[in-house]
Order: sequence, then C-alpha cells, then structure tokens
Amino acid sequence: MVLAKSPSDDSYDKARRYLDEDKIRSALQNASDFGASYAEVRLVSITDSSVATRDGQLERAIPGQEVGATMRILADGAWGVHSTTDIESIPSQVESTVRLAKAVAQRRSSKDKPVSLAEIPIIEDSVHWAPEKDVRATELTEKLEHLNVLYENSKDDKKIASVICGWHDEHIHTEFISSEGMNRVWSFQRSLINATVTARDGSDVVSYRTRHGGEGGLELIEQCDLANLGNYAKTSAIRLLKAERSPSGKLPLVADRDLTGVYIHEALGHPCEADLVAAGDSCLDGKLGQKIGNDIVTVVDDPTIRGGYGAHPIDDEGLNTREKCLIKNGVLTDYLNHRETAHHFGIEPNAGARAQDGLHHPLVRMSNTLIMGGTHNDLDELIEDIDYGVYACGSRGGQVDTGRGSFQFAAQEAWLIENGSITTPLKDVSVSGLTLQILKDVDGLTTDSKLAAPGFCGKGQTVPVGDGGPIMRIKEALVG
Amino acid sequence: MKMLPEDALDRLVDGSNEIADLCRKNKVQQWEIVALQSYGHQLDIEAGKISLAAGGGDGGYGIRVVEDGKFGYAHLVDIKSADKAIQQAISIARISPSIKGFTLPSNQETSEVKGLFDKKILSIGPEDLLQQADSILSEVSSLDKRAVVTGGGLGVSATAGVLTSSEGIEHHGITTSHGLGVQVSIDENDQLTSSWQGESSKKLIDKIPNCVANSVEWAQKTRDPIKVDNGAEDLPVLMTSEGIGSLFSIVIPSAIRGERLARMESFWSGKQGHQVLADDLTLIDNARMEGGISSSSRDGEGVPTQRQVIVESGKLVGSLWSTRDSAKLVSEGKIDKASTTGSASRGGHQSPPVTACSNLELISSSKSSSVDELLERMDSGYVVNSVMGAHTANPTSGDFSVTTSSILRVEGGEIIGAIKQAGLSGNMAKALSKEVFLSDDVRVSGGSMHIPDILLMQALRVNPI
Repeated sequence: MVLAKSPSDDSYDKARRYLDEDKIRSALQNASDFGASYAEVRLVSITDSSVATRDGQLERAIPGQEVGATMRILADGAWGVHSTTDIESIPSQVESTVRLAKAVAQRRSSKDKPVSLAEIPIIEDSVHWAPEKDVRATELTEKLEHLNVLYENSKDDKKIASVICGWHDEHIHTEFISSEGMNRVWSFQRSLINATVTARDGSDVVSYRTRHGGEGGLELIEQCDLANLGNYAKTSAIRLLKAERSPSGKLPLVADRDLTGVYIHEALGHPCEADLVAAGDSCLDGKLGQKIGNDIVTVVDDPTIRGGYGAHPIDDEGLNTREKCLIKNGVLTDYLNHRETAHHFGIEPNAGARAQDGLHHPLVRMSNTLIMGGTHNDLDELIEDIDYGVYACGSRGGQVDTGRGSFQFAAQEAWLIENGSITTPLKDVSVSGLTLQILKDVDGLTTDSKLAAPGFCGKGQTVPVGDGGPIMRIKEALVG
Repeated sequence: MKMLPEDALDRLVDGSNEIADLCRKNKVQQWEIVALQSYGHQLDIEAGKISLAAGGGDGGYGIRVVEDGKFGYAHLVDIKSADKAIQQAISIARISPSIKGFTLPSNQETSEVKGLFDKKILSIGPEDLLQQADSILSEVSSLDKRAVVTGGGLGVSATAGVLTSSEGIEHHGITTSHGLGVQVSIDENDQLTSSWQGESSKKLIDKIPNCVANSVEWAQKTRDPIKVDNGAEDLPVLMTSEGIGSLFSIVIPSAIRGERLARMESFWSGKQGHQVLADDLTLIDNARMEGGISSSSRDGEGVPTQRQVIVESGKLVGSLWSTRDSAKLVSEGKIDKASTTGSASRGGHQSPPVTACSNLELISSSKSSSVDELLERMDSGYVVNSVMGAHTANPTSGDFSVTTSSILRVEGGEIIGAIKQAGLSGNMAKALSKEVFLSDDVRVSGGSMHIPDILLMQALRVNPI
C-alpha cells in the first residue's frame, strides 16, 4: 500500500533513518536462512521541487516527497528483486523473493555461470555531500526570480514566440544495508535550471534549449550568468530561423564541448558498460588492452567530480565512487562495472552501479564522462586547415546500438566551415558513425577539458549524467 | 499468488477520502485527488537467458487545488504528510496567476471503455512469466539456431486508480497490462545484426506474439549487406509501422495539442481547416478504443473521453485540449473559444494533468495495399524497420535526421539486399502531406500509435554509408 515510514519533519538531519535497522538486519538474516548467499535493502527518499514558467508567468510548481526501497537477493547464483513504496512490508517479502531467485537459477543452463559478486570492503558510515546552500530552503518566490532573469533575457525580440523556463531541484537520501554487514547512509543534492526558446518567422518555427546545473544546491544557480544563458538561447533560436539545411555526406566535423560529451557518452561510454559487454551486446567485447582510438584520446568517467550532474559519493551497491579511466592514449583500459560484472570479468570493482531511484535495481551506468584535453589552443587552430566541414554545437541527444557499435547524435546548431573559417549557419545537423572507426578519426582536441551542460541518460532507467571534454575535431564523420 | 490485494481499491478510496476531508477542513475552494497503486512482476532477459526476476508495487497521491482560477499541486506517498502537501499546494496556488474561467470540471456521465482489464492477468505469478520467457527463448532458437535474445524482458501489472474531486467526480477502477520486448541478435562470421520488437496489451498475451518472429526475421534480413555507392538520394521510403512509430510519436502528438496550435508553436498552427496531410488520410485520437493501451473512460481530470477526428481527408479539423489549457488560451486571447476535449493525461500521481493524445490512428480512404504492392509502386527506394535517434527529431518543425541499421534497398520493386547503415532525414509533416500509401496491416508502435506500414514517396533523403 502507499505508505512509507517518514519522519515528522523535513529538516536536514544526519541521524535520520527511514529503515528500521534491526528489522532489516533480521530480514536479511532470514534471507540467508532461506538459502540466499547475499541480500541487500536500499532505500531512497527524494525530496524534490519542479517549477515551470511560460512567458514569465508561473505555469506550475510541484513539490513532492517520494520514498521507495528495493530488496535484492542472490540465491543459487541468480537474482530476485522486490521493490516497493510500502517500506514496512519488506521483511514479509523475503521468502518469496528468495523463491523468485531460485526459480531463475533453476533455468540456468550448464554453460552459463552462476552470478557471483566481487569482494568489496565492508563499511558502516554516513556520507553527506552538503551543498553550500541547501536548495530545499529556497522559497518559490526566489526560484521565480532566477527563472525570470532567464526569461527576460530570452524574450526581447519580435521573432521570439515563447519562452518556457524550468527549475528542478532534489535532495537524495539513500540508506543501504546488506547481509555482508554494509550499513551506509548518504545524501547529496542536484539543482537544474533550463529554458526552451521558440522563434517563429512566417511558417518557419524553430526552438533552442539551454540548461545549467549539477550536483549541489542553490549556489549552482546563483553562480550562473543566467542573463547570458538566456541571451545566447534567444540569439541561437533567431539564428536557426535563417539557418540552411545541412550538407549530407562524410565531412570533417568539429564538435563543441556539449557535443563532444554526447559523442563520448554514446559512442564509447555505453559500449564500455560491462553488463552490456557480458551480455554480448557491445562492440568492445574482448578488446580490453587493445588500441581502439587515436593516441590523443583519453577518456574518464568520474562520479567524484563535485558539481557534475552525474556526481554521487557512493554507488548503489554501497561502494565509494572513484574515477575510472576507460581509454588511455587510445588503449581500452577498463569497463564500467558493478560487483557482478567485476567478478564475471575478473577485474577490480569500480563502483559503476546506479539505479534511477529506490524502486529500481542498479545497472552499470556512466556518471560524469569526459575526453581529456589535447594540444590545440583553440577553435581557430582546429579549423584552420579544414577546407569544407561542419562545426556543430549543443546537443539534442543521441543514441547507440552498442552491439553493432553504431551511434547517432544530433546538434542544436551548426555552421559550415569553409577554407578555415566558420560561415553559414546550419540546422538539424546529425552525426552518425561506428565507434571503432571514429575513435581513430579523432585528430584534434583543444587543451581545456570541462563538463558541459547537464544531461539525462536512458537505459530502461533514467539517470542524470554529466558529459564533456574539449572542442574536438573528427577528420571524417557521416553528417546528415 | 494473487497480484493485487483484495482491498487495493478500498485502501485508495479510504486514503483519498482522508485527504478530501483535510481539504474541506482547510476550506479549499476546489480540490482533486488522484491515487494510484501498481503491482506487478517482471523478468529481464540478457544474453539468451533470464537474468533477473522482480516484483513489487508502488504508488502515491497527487493533490490539485484551485482557488479563484489559480492552481497548486503537490504529491506524496505517506498519507500522514497529506496536510502538509495540501498547505504546499494552497501556498503555490496563492502566488500563481489567475486564469479567468478556470475551474475544475464537474461530473458528467459516461460509459466504460471495454477491454482495459483482464482478470486472468491478476492470477499471473512469477512462475507463469518464467514459463512464458522459456517459450520465447525456445521459439527464437527454433526459428534460427544462430539467433539469441540479447536483451529485453516481459512483465505484467495491475493498477488500481481513484480520482475524487470537490465537483462530484468519484471515479475508480483497475486496469491491467502485459508487455514484452525482445532484442534478437545474430552474431556469426564477425557480423552482428539485431532487431528490437515489442508488444503491449491490456489483456493477457497468452501466445507468443508475432513481434518475436519479426525480430528474428529482421536480424536475418539485415545480414550480408550490399554496397550502395549512390550517395545521398531523395527516394521513396517504405517505413514499417515499427520504423515510423517512434518518429511519428515524437512529432505528431505535439503538433495537435490545442495550446501549441494556438501559440503558433506547431507546424500546423494557423492551418485549421486547411490541407495538412495527403487528402486521403484521416488522423483520429481515440481514447475510447476497446483494449487501447491509452484508452480510458475518463481523462486525467475526470472528463469523459471521446473519439475525436483531428485530420479529416487531409484537412486539420480538431485539436486536443484540457480544462486548464482551454481556459488559459481563451483568457489570453490566443483563441476565440476552446473547451476541454477530455484529453488531459497524467504521467502518474506525481504530475498534474497535461494535454496529450491517447491512441492515435492514421487511416486512408484509398484502398490499402499489401507490402508487395507498395514495393512495386515504390520501384526504387528503401524499406526502413527501425531508426536510431528518433527522440532527437524536432517536434516544433517536424524535421528529423536519424540513423538506421535496419534498412533494405529496393530496385525494380524487389528487395535486393540490406545496407549496413544509413542516415535518414526529412520533415515528417511534409512527407505525410505528399504522396502517401498505407499498407493493410495496422500495428501498434511508438507507444500507442496505431499505424500501418507507410510508403512515403517524397520529402525523405537517404544517405547510405
């Protein structure tokens, strides 16, 4: 039933626990008694607030608090899972969840290995990434003031048809108790502000989206130059009205920080997820230690970068997060993994488990993924020897077929590069290619690698991510 | 094992009544409470085997308050925090702009839509799902020994829902669903091909659905690609229902929302009464379709739903509205008159109602054709069965530029082979307004788009690698 044991007030209290530790430990012991080799309960409470304005007027403001918990049980080398908002009911679901795991195990063929988990250190503690300014204390009127700055700087042109601005903040509190003795509590916050600017000229309608945010509280919004963010979105939307259709074909491509981030997320990050590799659904299967990219390509996934939208202190299996170097100078050095896949591949667990919320089980996921900087000083240096190509900026998202190793991503705006100069604005530019080819075709990177605008990644579950890098040049990509 | 507790609805009704009492106590002018609780089982399949079995339930309450045309909303899972949530919703309403004429809808009689609940699903337990997964894995293997289900899963669920308002709406019911999806791959001779297909139903899927065999077939069809040196070409493209569904569901539902039309944010803005699709095409939003995935007797704010013609014989004649959107756009002077079309939808208890389509049907008054007849008409072009990056399509303009690895080359009306990968770009609105021919096999794709295979003769560009 829709009940969650929740505290009587919402104040920030490090000692607050939703789970009754004694009852959960007893339930996990019962799981062992029923034949489980491992069991855990992870509870997530999310206190959030969403605000949307349209043309400067409050459209909706939605505060809420959701609590959910997932119990994972490993028995006979297979998983059984129970997820619920009825926290009190968890102990009563242990026996049926063990039975579920055993029923899956019975179907395992002799050629398939039972699931085992890599060893990890057992920790009992509380970790709180406290923001400078707790975003939960922000009044709606203050949020509206920030949104209004974004709006006022996005709207002032007769071709702007509408401006929709949005705000989302969340405080994430997680409790994790396992049969191995792990007992951890952690919390952190995320804050995000965005705008979608629509411009119209006759029958031509275009839109441009901008976002700013990351892990942290109100300080993230206060530190952002919202006027500049809004003004850029307006200018881009108006420019898109006059933009021409993109040329089609294989062309040199220069991507800004946003698009570089999406490229590395789609083209490399997903195929590096060890659950996909283990399932035979990755073009990087069997390629650890092999050269798969140009010498200049080094890629990391790092959830410890504070302020990144994919930052988190502890993964959803209770491991301290850490930087993972996926490619070092073109050589594939690591997969993103969780305990199951770390054991499967006989590699060190690297804390890559993430779940969407308390009602989902953890999968191998990215966090903040970046290409490291190269040697070019700036954009001008990257384009000076390109006769005809495309400079693409801002992301409208992307997708990958990890097994085939083919990917696609779309730019918000773009320009032609002609004889070393940026010329005609383009619209609806998309780029596609093959992971194992295009990593070799990266032939120029500027020195400054940073996270770009925050994003979201879908893999059955949606999680916030940070992507980025420097400005990147690919000597040939399929542009459409 | 019974999926849904006997008293699931009663508990939601009790919870809603408790919140309603608090609203009355707080002297809220108008209030509306939605309560949802889902229960279900699911299995994940990876690398040709069942990798995980899961079960459970989740749900919560959403409270909308309206005072003098201003609205506030809050959501919660713990009924004990209901009073606080009501206070939050009231305080938001008080600083929200007032919309002249906006009130919560009153109760109107309506009839039930059939086929949204199947009692058989309630008695489906994890073991039944495991057996169904076994059958699917065996079926794939029997169709092609090389084929493996590399990803996917199946699940059943039952959702109890209650909608109560100060205006006399007291609606409750239980719906069920059963769905599955499989990614089938063939990895042989250093060549990997794959295809994803799925099916959802409000009723028990008691046989292995066609999507499983289709998935195997497309993993086979796309092997041994031929080389095409033509470069980018503007050619006819036969989009299978599965191929066009994802693009269609991103671009079209957004364009027919009344608010976007009135605000000039749709590529069909200002075209009411004008030709927007090929003149034999009709587009219907049908929330009363028996067994439809997005069917319901009442919309997300309790208004009776309807079958509404949006485009008739190519002309734009309708649009979708909710109570608030219609009052707002009239009060802003963006449109002379508008009223709810029973098109308010909720993403769950966490969201207030927003205007959205239900089951969209695209039909033609011309005689439909078999796929072979469409290929003959096409003469030279391509068949596309899935695209990558449909979500990057631009719903404001209808432009899209996506990639496909599930594409066949057609010459002289015959499929001559697959190509490895291609870019596909164009404008959905323009393509559907030119020469368009529909097949006779309507399927559900892109969520709740009821569309057949569609031959688009113009306005698409294919750029093979």
